Amino acid sequence: MSLLRLSAFSKCLNGLTLLERSVNRLPKADHCHYCFTVRNNSGRRIAEPSWKSQKRHFSAAFPKKEDGEKRCLEQSQLLDVLEARIRQLQSDVVSDVQHSKVQFVKAPKSETGAFSGWSSNINSGKSWMPKLGKRVSKEVGQTASPETVKEYPEAPFNEDEQQRVQCYLEACVFSGDIDRASNLLLTNHQNIRQRKVLNIEAYNLMMSVWAKKGSMDPIRQLFVLVEEAGLKPNLSSYSAALECLGRTPNCDPSLINRILQQIEADGLSLDELFCHGVFRQDERDMALKAVLTIQPDFQPSIKSVMPTCSSPLVKDFYSERTDSRYPKLAFSLEELQKKFRNQLNVEQTCAITINSVEALKPLTEHVVKMRNLLTKQRRVWHKTLVGALREKKATMASTSNRLCQYPYLGLLDDKDYADIMIQSLSEMPPSGESLQVLAKNLGIRVYNKFCILRKRQNHMVDKLNRIYNEYVELVAEDNETPSVLPRERWQMLEAEHSSGPSLLGEECHWTHAVLIELGIFLVEFMIDHMKVNRGILSFSHDRKTVPVLYHMYTFRGNKQMGFIKQHPIVTQIHQDAMETTLTFDSYVMPMLCPPVPWTSTRFGAYLLTPTKLMRVGIGNKQHDILLEKCPVEELHPVLDSLTQLGNTAWRINQPLLDVIISVFNDKGCEKLGVPPPLSEAPAIPSYSHQEMATYTSGEKAHLKLEVINAKKKCAEMHSLRMDALYKLSIANHVRDEVFWFPHNMDFRGRTYPCPPYFNHLGSDVTRAILVFAEGKPLGPGGLDWLKIHLVNLTGLKKRSSLAGRLEHANAIMDLIMDSADRPLTGKRWWQDADEPWQALACCMEITNAVRSPDVTQFVSCFPVHQDGSCNGLQHYAALGRDVIGAISVNLMSCEVPQDVYSVVAQKVEDFRVRDAEKGLKIAKDLAGFINRKVVKQTVMTVVYGVTRYGGRLQIEKRLKEIDDFPEDCVWDASRYLVHQVFNSLKEMFTGTREIQDWLTESARLIAKFGNPVEWVTPLGLPVIQSYHRPRVQQLKNNLQSHLSLQICHDSKQKPDVIKQKNAFPPNFIHSLDSTHMMLTALYCYSAGLTFVSVHDCFWTHALTVDTMNKVCREQFVALHSQPILQELAKFLLQKNSSVPINDVNRKEVQEYERMLMLLSKVPQTGNFDLNQVKESMYFFS
Amino acid sequence: MSSQSVRLFVVAVRHMCGHSLVRHTGRQPSSSCGPGVLLQRRAYSLDRGTAGQPQLQQARKDRTPPSSSLNHRNLSAVAVSVQCEPLCKYDFLDVGEVDENTQRAQSCRTTRRFIVDPALASLVTHHLGPDLEDSKAVLFECNPGPGVLTRTLLNAGAQRVVALESEKVFLPDLQALENRVDGQLEVVHCDLFKLDPLKKVVMKPPAMYSDKLFTDLGISEANWTDDVPAKVFSILTPSKERKQLWQLLYSLYEQNSIFRYGRVELNFFISECEYQKLTAKTGDALNYRAYVILWKLACHIELLHKEPWESFVSSSKIKLFIPKGRFSNDNMCLVRMTPRKDLFSSSLTTSNAPILFMMLKQLMVRKRNRLADMLNVWNLDSGPTIMKALGLSKKTKTGDVSPETYKLLFELLNTCPDFTQSWLYQETLESSWRGS
Repeated sequence: MSLLRLSAFSKCLNGLTLLERSVNRLPKADHCHYCFTVRNNSGRRIAEPSWKSQKRHFSAAFPKKEDGEKRCLEQSQLLDVLEARIRQLQSDVVSDVQHSKVQFVKAPKSETGAFSGWSSNINSGKSWMPKLGKRVSKEVGQTASPETVKEYPEAPFNEDEQQRVQCYLEACVFSGDIDRASNLLLTNHQNIRQRKVLNIEAYNLMMSVWAKKGSMDPIRQLFVLVEEAGLKPNLSSYSAALECLGRTPNCDPSLINRILQQIEADGLSLDELFCHGVFRQDERDMALKAVLTIQPDFQPSIKSVMPTCSSPLVKDFYSERTDSRYPKLAFSLEELQKKFRNQLNVEQTCAITINSVEALKPLTEHVVKMRNLLTKQRRVWHKTLVGALREKKATMASTSNRLCQYPYLGLLDDKDYADIMIQSLSEMPPSGESLQVLAKNLGIRVYNKFCILRKRQNHMVDKLNRIYNEYVELVAEDNETPSVLPRERWQMLEAEHSSGPSLLGEECHWTHAVLIELGIFLVEFMIDHMKVNRGILSFSHDRKTVPVLYHMYTFRGNKQMGFIKQHPIVTQIHQDAMETTLTFDSYVMPMLCPPVPWTSTRFGAYLLTPTKLMRVGIGNKQHDILLEKCPVEELHPVLDSLTQLGNTAWRINQPLLDVIISVFNDKGCEKLGVPPPLSEAPAIPSYSHQEMATYTSGEKAHLKLEVINAKKKCAEMHSLRMDALYKLSIANHVRDEVFWFPHNMDFRGRTYPCPPYFNHLGSDVTRAILVFAEGKPLGPGGLDWLKIHLVNLTGLKKRSSLAGRLEHANAIMDLIMDSADRPLTGKRWWQDADEPWQALACCMEITNAVRSPDVTQFVSCFPVHQDGSCNGLQHYAALGRDVIGAISVNLMSCEVPQDVYSVVAQKVEDFRVRDAEKGLKIAKDLAGFINRKVVKQTVMTVVYGVTRYGGRLQIEKRLKEIDDFPEDCVWDASRYLVHQVFNSLKEMFTGTREIQDWLTESARLIAKFGNPVEWVTPLGLPVIQSYHRPRVQQLKNNLQSHLSLQICHDSKQKPDVIKQKNAFPPNFIHSLDSTHMMLTALYCYSAGLTFVSVHDCFWTHALTVDTMNKVCREQFVALHSQPILQELAKFLLQKNSSVPINDVNRKEVQEYERMLMLLSKVPQTGNFDLNQVKESMYFFS
Repeated sequence: MSSQSVRLFVVAVRHMCGHSLVRHTGRQPSSSCGPGVLLQRRAYSLDRGTAGQPQLQQARKDRTPPSSSLNHRNLSAVAVSVQCEPLCKYDFLDVGEVDENTQRAQSCRTTRRFIVDPALASLVTHHLGPDLEDSKAVLFECNPGPGVLTRTLLNAGAQRVVALESEKVFLPDLQALENRVDGQLEVVHCDLFKLDPLKKVVMKPPAMYSDKLFTDLGISEANWTDDVPAKVFSILTPSKERKQLWQLLYSLYEQNSIFRYGRVELNFFISECEYQKLTAKTGDALNYRAYVILWKLACHIELLHKEPWESFVSSSKIKLFIPKGRFSNDNMCLVRMTPRKDLFSSSLTTSNAPILFMMLKQLMVRKRNRLADMLNVWNLDSGPTIMKALGLSKKTKTGDVSPETYKLLFELLNTCPDFTQSWLYQETLESSWRGS
């Protein structure tokens, strides 16, 4: 206790950083242990009186109301005394330990730790680790000495390192190398310094290994070790112990009893263990068996009533279900089950090879030859790689137990690694790939495959199969209308099928370092072993082989970057062979069955492929921690809306796909967004050095610039072309299928489909290809909506009323029908639209509808979009209740849609006229040049935090596009304009500006006091801005001396104030618009609508546009009727009111007070009546 | 950071600020101690400067209000005319007040260092000499600022000085000077390191094409083996010097930009640590790099003088960042780099120089790699033979090979056919230019 007090005291003194560091560095658990041991060991040896006198000294020295100078002097004296004392203590204890060689194996009796009860007879039975006993005693002695604590105060307590060891152990265990795992655990445990890298999970992992074997002794010993390391056993530890006992025939019931008591004593419960624990294979059943031997009637209680989300926004959604008509899918149960099996097959193989749309091109003899060559080479490489890997592993197996790559190489079959390596080679761009990216991709591939394999090994697939097949009854057409949500259904089923493995894997995510190190190892392996004959292209008899890949450096300024390139020969083969198949990871493809509903933060979306609920950078754990802390019921609305978005079934618009592919294979078309092939690229200008010598330096520079630009253009074209090729090929592959896009979200709650290339968020081309799988009749107003939608897509008639747009559509019906009938040969009206392909698709749909016998009965699958008009400003205007602002962004009902950009442009023009009258030159020069287009981008992005600097660049770009604008005025003009745009916005959106400033300033102060900004959306999603100062992690490897990873999300680093401050307003608004979208999604779901979103653009059937619009407006009003800013301020205040303040620094105290003031003073709002939104026809249109 | 240097700096600052607490007992009695300190520091000079002393004294005597400086100019001209009389075709130029020049230098908006101390100026003049009056080489003075050195150079009889000034602030004054003298000085609004930019499309001063500059000046292209046609003097800014030296290196090997007009001699003040890096010895694990090899191959590098940082006036109000490294960095070093006549041969030409760059850069990233391994990576059959021919063992590391040997190696490599076919060769063709 004395030491505790001592440390507490030291905190009071600013100068005493020494002790503070040494004590605070310890993790909490260690801390207690440390004190405990001090009391028990060293405390006894050190003369008590000296401590007491020391204490007296302290209290005397403690300043009450003395002046600063005296206090300071005393502090320094005190510091000297303390230091001397510490030195004395150290020498005392060290010599003590050395001389007496304490031998205590049993823990002291006074202790109430976990193992005191049932595992005290540790020395009985065979010792699993022969020398352990002796070493342990020594360690216990050493922990006691303050010296060990003080000696390594700088060694950082590194979570990354812990996770890394855990990954390593898991890999060892998975590949069956238990010796290596236990060796690592022990060596780390025995070294006090290293012990920090072990967390409780590391010990649990070993326990579960022994539990599988039914051997109790090692588990007991492990409990001793856990105790010794100052850790606390958790549910997994106890469940391993129980499982082990369950496996032991005729085990001692008293032992089980003692474990149960211990669980109680630790404040845990059996129910918790069985409900929330994570089990593999038959672990759960075994543990249950053990419990049943002494409590035969035990049954883990299942909560019958799930707590519901506390947010008032969704209260109706969850409680009043009688009116709800949840949508169903137009498939029979059997069909859905078959689809599930297909998807399962795809995911189990991990990779899928599909035909590319380029397959239709004619073959030449040369191409055939090259293809054969490539296939042959691949076979050879594959064989060499497998062989070499086998050899390499054999040599590595005998190496020391340092952290090496060996365990990670035993996870999959040798040939799987070879497959992965060859897949990476064929994906590599011809210009090469940076080592870091390539290594990461390889690492992730291995990891994904490993996860799936592990799930299979845990018998999870069978269970998934059982639950899924029952789950889809919910949405199948041949069953009655569902009354529960998909998530609820899944949770019920999971509870019913509680035996067997858990579906959510509490697996340890591989850290960035682990992924990259494994990746680099594989890259090195590829460089060493993949060879190609040098004369292969000329078919000569040159037998010399050259490596397929080589490592080199590229230099960007002073920075050098490791780069992997293919040998030119290999690039040539790849190019000439023009392969017609593409190999993708399975998650790249849309799912062939409805995705698994999100039931928790760790389970949902794909069947087997690991997916994160929140997409964040690798190794960024802050969001996960926050989500884990959040009660799961509070996340239900978020999970349900994601599930709902993912449950929308899609189909390919086949006629349109055919048109696009024909354009794609015929030279493409940049204007229509179909990237042309490389053969259309500008030729790179060539030159000879002799010629160069005659050029002037201006000409030389020009030539060089031209070459650089041409190369850049080529690289761009290649990547665009490949992207389009991927998208179209995937679409072509699923052209006859119905498919689903599982969804997840970013840290602000904005939702995204998981498949990266082909999804409805993509470009005009991909959006046009997609239609809903389910059709609905157009009904009375459907055709009109289709026509209006078409006019919207053209970008014309933005300021016309709906009736006006409809009229325009009716006027050009012949053009529309011509476009639909002869898309490429007719008048091609559609090609001039803003979104040409979607417009064409819409033309076709309208034409089909018109030609059907009864338009109202025409079944349409076509999605109709409704866009928010400048959605960010809409939210700001609603937050600030700005009247003028609200009108200009259509929060108020008007005859014709308002256009904020035109309004701003008009305002800017007014300012200009005024300034021109005053004689300002630039204002005069700008006469006639200010229009909507010039200001649009800046107005749009201003809500997302664009600065004057960025705004000027945007306007500069626009002005340069105007041909007759004098070039030398551009700079001044853009500076002038951006200033005026900001002024106009300030005038129109007074509240907005104030709110934005308030958010920025709050974020700045919060970040300045060392906290990242954190808030909770009205729907209960916790958000944190994990922008921190970068930390550089060096990864040593053979290929390069090191590779540096820059990590910007380390919560131990100070926050990056500028980023925190600049990003807060846009992030906050995004979190609001995502909330609005989710609410709309949920309520549309209960109304039985098909609903998907692209952020602020909502899609539904033509029949249900009106309903969706109504829901959307209602939810907007509901959302903004909440005291959003007040809640935010309250939350921020509560989070940030307790920052440690150095009260000596006057300025800091002032700043702190300023922050509290600011946070408690929410900006005033205007007089806009929010309910008017409900009447506004053009709010989303 | 040595305590001595700190002390020196503190003393210097005090003197500069005029809060002279310590009575200075120099050889010369002085009211304002600035030059006195500087003069003492002159002991650092490697060279026993002679021209400095009388000039300095002259400058000090000259300490009078600006209004009367014109009268005094004649007087002072008389005072030194003993030395300079035969060389001057015009009135001896007054270099101006130290305080006033300092103030003007500090008004510069970009961060730069200036010479305002007349003694330092004459010292530099001496090093740029010694035969200023006879030499045909054109003297380019970059960023003269208040023009102290310019005037000193002219006073010393320089035949042709071209002042390249990048800041508009200093131009009027320099142009006035230009008009006063008889054709020995030309002032151009130009920045040496913004010559021939790659990315700019619209050319506005101070950016410029070198051929425009040289044509305007009437300087024609010269052969590489001719005598030095021009000398360039500049004070480099520590934060930019590495980049600027690289830039010159590229131009030099391609005989581009200023080097198109012959072997232009470079006289630069660079930071001491940069100098030490530039002249790192073969085998120096940290500093022996491609950059060093290329400079050593290209130029004869000569250290002329070391001058403490404090002798220069810096434009920035905040104290200019002086990088601290493993090396002492108390001084600026005046370094002369004369391009070698025999740099280009039949094997090393301007056209394959980029390949030499690429090769050395790749080799020198890890200096502990074996050279033989690296040659293997490039798939050269003749690698071992070449190594043998150069007398290198198989175990030779890339960091232990001297610049000369590298040149030989490159020349030999160029003769083997598989080198021109190797990927390295192709790679260079793709990305060889500076700025890309």
